[in-house]
Amino acid sequence: MTGIPLTVIGGYLGAGKTTLINQILRDPQGKRYLVMVNDFGAINVDASLLASADEDTIQLSNGCVCCTMGADLFLAIGDVLDGDMRPDHIVIEASGIADPAKIANVAVAEPDLVYQGIITVVDGANILDQLVDRFVGDQVRDQIRVADLIYVSKTELSDHLSMQLTTISKAPILESDAATIEMLLSPSTPKAPNPTTAPHTAYTKWFTEADVAFNRNTLIYALQNRPEGVFRMKGFVRAETRMLSVHVVGAHIDVTTFPNDVETGLVAIGLASEMNPQDLNKWWAKAKEKALTPYSML
Amino acid sequence: MQKITVFSAKKVITMDPNQPSATHVAVLGDRILAVGQADCADQWGDVIHDDSLSDFVLTPGFVEGHAHMMAGAIWDFAYAGYHDRIDPDGKLWSGKGDLNTVIGDLSDYEKTLPDDQPLVGWGLDPIFLQDERLSRKHLDQISETRPIAVMFSNFHLMCVNSKALDMVGYTNETNAEGVIKDDAGHPTGELQEMAAMFPVMRRLGIDFRSLSQTEPAIRSYAKVCQRAGVTTVTDLFSTLTDEDVTTLTSVTGEAQFPVRIVPALAAIGAAPAEIAQFALKLRSMSTDKLRLGAVKLMTDGSIQGWTARVKWPGYVGGQPNGLWNTPPELIYELVEEMQRAGVQMHIHVNGDEASDVSIDAIEAASRKHPWPEARHVLQHCQMMGVDQFKRCANMGICTNIFANHIWYFGDQHAALTIGNDRAERMDAVRAALDAGVNVAIHSDAPVTPMGPLFTAWCAVTRQTMSGRVLGAGQCISVEEALHAITLGAAYTLKLDRDIGSIETGKIADFAILAQDPTESDGIALKDIEVKGTVSSGVVHLI
Repeated sequence: MTGIPLTVIGGYLGAGKTTLINQILRDPQGKRYLVMVNDFGAINVDASLLASADEDTIQLSNGCVCCTMGADLFLAIGDVLDGDMRPDHIVIEASGIADPAKIANVAVAEPDLVYQGIITVVDGANILDQLVDRFVGDQVRDQIRVADLIYVSKTELSDHLSMQLTTISKAPILESDAATIEMLLSPSTPKAPNPTTAPHTAYTKWFTEADVAFNRNTLIYALQNRPEGVFRMKGFVRAETRMLSVHVVGAHIDVTTFPNDVETGLVAIGLASEMNPQDLNKWWAKAKEKALTPYSML
Repeated sequence: MQKITVFSAKKVITMDPNQPSATHVAVLGDRILAVGQADCADQWGDVIHDDSLSDFVLTPGFVEGHAHMMAGAIWDFAYAGYHDRIDPDGKLWSGKGDLNTVIGDLSDYEKTLPDDQPLVGWGLDPIFLQDERLSRKHLDQISETRPIAVMFSNFHLMCVNSKALDMVGYTNETNAEGVIKDDAGHPTGELQEMAAMFPVMRRLGIDFRSLSQTEPAIRSYAKVCQRAGVTTVTDLFSTLTDEDVTTLTSVTGEAQFPVRIVPALAAIGAAPAEIAQFALKLRSMSTDKLRLGAVKLMTDGSIQGWTARVKWPGYVGGQPNGLWNTPPELIYELVEEMQRAGVQMHIHVNGDEASDVSIDAIEAASRKHPWPEARHVLQHCQMMGVDQFKRCANMGICTNIFANHIWYFGDQHAALTIGNDRAERMDAVRAALDAGVNVAIHSDAPVTPMGPLFTAWCAVTRQTMSGRVLGAGQCISVEEALHAITLGAAYTLKLDRDIGSIETGKIADFAILAQDPTESDGIALKDIEVKGTVSSGVVHLI
């Protein structure tokens, strides 16, 4: 059994997290999402989509489920993992002041979950004030610092705002909920992209064979120094005596022993405007040259 | 017809200034009919004299205004802490002063467990242990085949053995934050924060929900109270599903159930207006022994965890200011809505910035929706100064002060968190009383053990674990301390009409003590023996 992908949506009060979640529930593009929210009342789906609802769960006819997390988020996650429904993807709405990384870390720790990133939603109209608020400024800054994707809602992204955000986080910045959802949904199966698929507007893909054996630490070093613009990277790479599973989301890099022998290869997904496949080709060619150089000698 | 019972006692300490002490108290049903001497109820007709308590001192039943129900069921796990503690069944668990004792005692306990059950410990506090850090290597000495998890006293950390690490699959390749590794890159067994602990808890079946609101948890909590002389207890930050309320109502409704429970609904998980409406609905479901309707708000974290929001100059170690659990903007919104709807609030405030914001929020709400009888309660109040206490007095805000902290963490606060001068004016009960605030004092059990007499001793002596007196200027008298654990606490729960003193007309709730706390003859308040309680007229000796 492979783990269920888990994404955390963070951001301060009023940033637009719920709007994004309502969009996901309305059009999940064939995936069965389980969305955990703080406040049920703000969830707003068409009556026509409503299959059933009780005190703390809404079932939608499109296969999605929305539930409240109650007083203890982690116990609620445990209930999902041990329950009957096996969603394709879990999305958690962090509370307005929460550190999304503290929640998302559970997907790194728990083998039945797969870390699928932190999206921090930023209220473009108010964020600059929020960042210097004497009470919550530091916590708002931290929400942006840990983001793997930043979504600026409510306003156009000005150069000034973009610069401010870049000083806090290197995460790609998105300007529409459609693009954000597209990134969230972008498939990352470790296969070559199907050339007949129409190109997406928001993201682009890159694929390489991985026919060289790597030293694990050297591979991690290479992944840390990959070209900018990659949001996710996934695949299998051979080490001297075993198979390694590679899972990269934003700044998070997991390279673990994989018990089965599988086809090697790496696929990367990034914003079309930021990720350049040529850069990735060059980067990978260089990484392969030093594949077996011990990390200490790099 | 119900009979009148006249209890004789060595002394009845009433907390009623009109008759501070007596020798007899007459009880009819669950109420106090008369207080005085042997003949105090003779005007009412035939009486039965009961001398079974005549060797003891009676005080009003103690009121614990800030505790959590899990203080009972946590004893389902093995205690591994530094201090001696007594479990709900009266068994003494001796404190573990070093790692060898922790391992030795847990090994003995392990032998009593069925083969298929994990060993779960709680209460470990490395701050008090001088030796190396507890690791899987130590726990592997207890068992290599049975999974073991030892939770730290703050519940934010745990240490597990190799078997438990294997069950999750934590290895040197794991890079989850909070899975601590040694120099060679292998997990040490220490897991920090919930995300890292969760996979172990899930596999070992540790579910904190079962420590509250289940029938065994409620009964266990009642036993803890009974041993402490407590006849009314809070459960601050309750989740109260329909099922929970049904269970609570049924268990507390038994005539023999020995304690009145006052849960405060956790004000999270819904819009403020919905929370307020739910609290009002709960209020209408109250019974004598189950008083519903108040809510609890979280604001900041804890001082010893450096997560409390403190005013300038902050923490002495230069740590960044703490974390809000609820941002001030939302505190204002919640406070206004509760004030508008008429819902009493208990507001967690450890740092002085959190108390400042909360008082500001209450003032703003009061200007819009006046409610002089609101009696909102600031809880913990650890760094509040005279300025804040005076504002509380002016607005009728109560304070429930965390006096136990002085003994348990006072030395650490002076040395490590807020420095000597501010530590000396922490938990400033004297300042609060002088400002005219209604004061209660508390244990926050299971964070520290429930025991109002111990809490009173802390407020009177302000002694720390190292024996120093931390801020003599804030000491209070024994009488003031006794008031704080009876009428003072009852007032914060809006129950002073019914409990908190031994007066005609009030509910017959008493603590049964072996010695007189007002004439302790060299016996410290904390060492006075609790023999049991009388709850709603029913005697519950230990």
